[in-house]
Formats: sequence, structure tokens, C-alpha cells
Amino acid sequence: MIFREVEDRDLIVKARRGDVEAYNLLISRWERRVFNYLLKLVGNREDALDLAQDAFLKAYQNLAKLDDPARFAPWLFRIAHNEAFSLLRKHRPEGEFVERGEMPGPGSRLLPVELSLAVEHALSKLSEDQREAIVLKVYQGFKFEEIAEVLNCPVSTVKSRVYTALDLLKEILAPVTKTRGVS
Amino acid sequence: MSCPEFDWKAYALDELSAADRARAREHASVCPLCAEEVERLQVTRAALLSIPNEEPPRRIAFVSDKVFEPNWWQRFWASAPRLGFASAAMLSVAILVAALTRPAPAPVASPVSPDRAQVAALVEQEVQRRLPIAIAAVVAESNQSNEEKTAKLVAAAEHRLEFAHRAEMLAVEDNLTILRRRLNQAYVAYNSPVSNELAGKDNK
Repeated sequence: MIFREVEDRDLIVKARRGDVEAYNLLISRWERRVFNYLLKLVGNREDALDLAQDAFLKAYQNLAKLDDPARFAPWLFRIAHNEAFSLLRKHRPEGEFVERGEMPGPGSRLLPVELSLAVEHALSKLSEDQREAIVLKVYQGFKFEEIAEVLNCPVSTVKSRVYTALDLLKEILAPVTKTRGVS
Repeated sequence: MSCPEFDWKAYALDELSAADRARAREHASVCPLCAEEVERLQVTRAALLSIPNEEPPRRIAFVSDKVFEPNWWQRFWASAPRLGFASAAMLSVAILVAALTRPAPAPVASPVSPDRAQVAALVEQEVQRRLPIAIAAVVAESNQSNEEKTAKLVAAAEHRLEFAHRAEMLAVEDNLTILRRRLNQAYVAYNSPVSNELAGKDNK
């Protein structure tokens, strides 16, 4: 008998046949990542959880449309992205961004929580597109090709968004990183 | 200003191939400007990662509900055997079309050969031999089945009769008990002092 780890692919096949428990196991593997992705987009825990639930439900209802189970992650994040932007469009007009606190001044010594606040503030200075690209690249670890799938845009666009955002973040966080010596 | 031929952002974001990464690292080790750029990018990335991932406030899970379950057709279509089914269906259609469109062969007179006649005779003989045995077996089986059914019906009827008999006996016993009580009561009433007194007055 050969033992092997149960892969997402196996769970997807079972879930497609109506096995809800297999799908719940699949959710348990991905819920933390999807929740944190949504949390960084909408900035509210309850909204992020509701959106994650909606995203997983829609994914279940459309599992038959997933051509290649190996592409489950980008496909799932694409659904989560659509859910998040649907909510953001409802909540506020286009182009309006959330400000999250003030940036600590240069020379101040930062605690970890203050560094987190500084980073949140820096992220809030990005456009929604740039912020999402950074979240998918830095926090979720997707490759540029996968991000292009999630965002349904060319890889060159993804690259441009990530690079511009990284330049901005480097500039905004420069006083903090010099002070703290983050490594 | 770092050297433009190297993509340091891709380097910091782990998007370079192993070969390009090794080449870039080698260059950064001898170029102070590029080394500074790499360090700034890596420090920025590390700062971004200082935001911890949070646990969802509640676990997400679904329960089975007929409303959301795919129907049999969707389940079949999502299953692996669908290609086999599709192939079989196409093959069946192809055979049917070929059979319908092919011209019928002209009838050819084929005299029965002596071998075929002999085989037919043997078959007939074998059928005649086996047929009574098969009929006897079927009849025996049927009889046995009927006997079993009859035995069951008889047992059930006996059981019902016994039950009815017991019920009747119990009813009779109850009636006797009631009768006995009433007799006792009548006897007691007849022999009581009040009744004797009344009987004496009547005698006077």
C-alpha cells in the first residue's frame, strides 16, 4: 500500500461529486490565506470573513467550471477579488482610499506594533490596484503569471503595478526602516 | 543609481530564475550601488511582512444541503468517466449510421449442409433431454415455495387463534371475578344486623 498526502486535486474531485466534507477540508487549507487577503483589501475583519464565506460558496457552486484543478488557488483568489471589489464599489466612490493612522516621524524608535501601523499607513497610500498587487505578491506569494490570472490582466500590467508600488513603499517606509534596521 | 541591466525588484521578489539570481548576486557583491538597492528593497519587503497574518474570527464550513448539491447530471459531467461515456456514445452513433446507410446484401441461396442438419438434430435431442429435467426442477421449486408459504400462513393463523382464545379466557375470568364479588356483597348485606332488625319488625 502506498500512502501519499491528500492533495487539493483529490479534494476538488470529491467536492465536485457533492462531498461537502472534502470541500470543508479544502476550505480549512485555504481560509486563512483568503481571509488575510480580503482583510488587507477591505480592512474590516467581519467584512473579510463574510466575503471569504461568499467566495468559498461561489467556488463550490462553480467547481465544475474549474478546468485545471492545479489552478485552484488563482481561480479561488479571482472569485475572492471579485467579491471584495463588488463590496468596495458599494461602500465608497471610485478612487477614494482609506487612511489608516499617521506615519511616525523620522528618528522615532518603533515597537513591532508601531512598525505594523507604519506599514498599514504606507499601504493605504497606494492605489487599490497597487495595494492588491502587493498583497498578492508579498503576502500571498503568487508568481506574476498567477496574479495576472487573479486580476484578469496582462503580466506586464501586474509587473508595473508591483514595481511602482514597491518604489512608493520604499520611499514611504525609508525613515522607519532606517531607524529600525528591519532585515 | 543601480546598474540598469539588473532587475533588482524581481530579485527581491523571488521572480528570477536560479541562473539569473546567481548572476545578480555575484554582481551585487562587487557593485556597492546595486548592493545598496538590493538591501533597501529587502528591508522594505521585510517591513511589509511585519504585519502578522490574522486568524479568521470563525471557521468557515458548510453543511450538506440539497439546494447547493449538484444534480446527477452535473455530477456525472464533472466526473472522470464522462469521456468514456462520450466515446461510447459516439461509437454507437457511428455504428448505427453505418448500419442504416449500408446497402442490404443480396440474398444468397445456401443449401443446408449435412453437418448443420446433424447439429440441429443433436440440439433437438439435447433440448428434449434437458427440458423435462428443467420443468421438474421448476415445479419442485414452486411446490417447495408454496409449501413454505402455506406453513407460514398456518402458523400465523394458529398464532392468531391462540391469541383470541387467551383473550376470551381472560374475559371469562374477569366476569367470574365480578360475579363472585357481587354474590359476596349480597350475602354480607343479607346477614347484616340492620336487615335482621327489619326482618324482625316485619314478623311482628
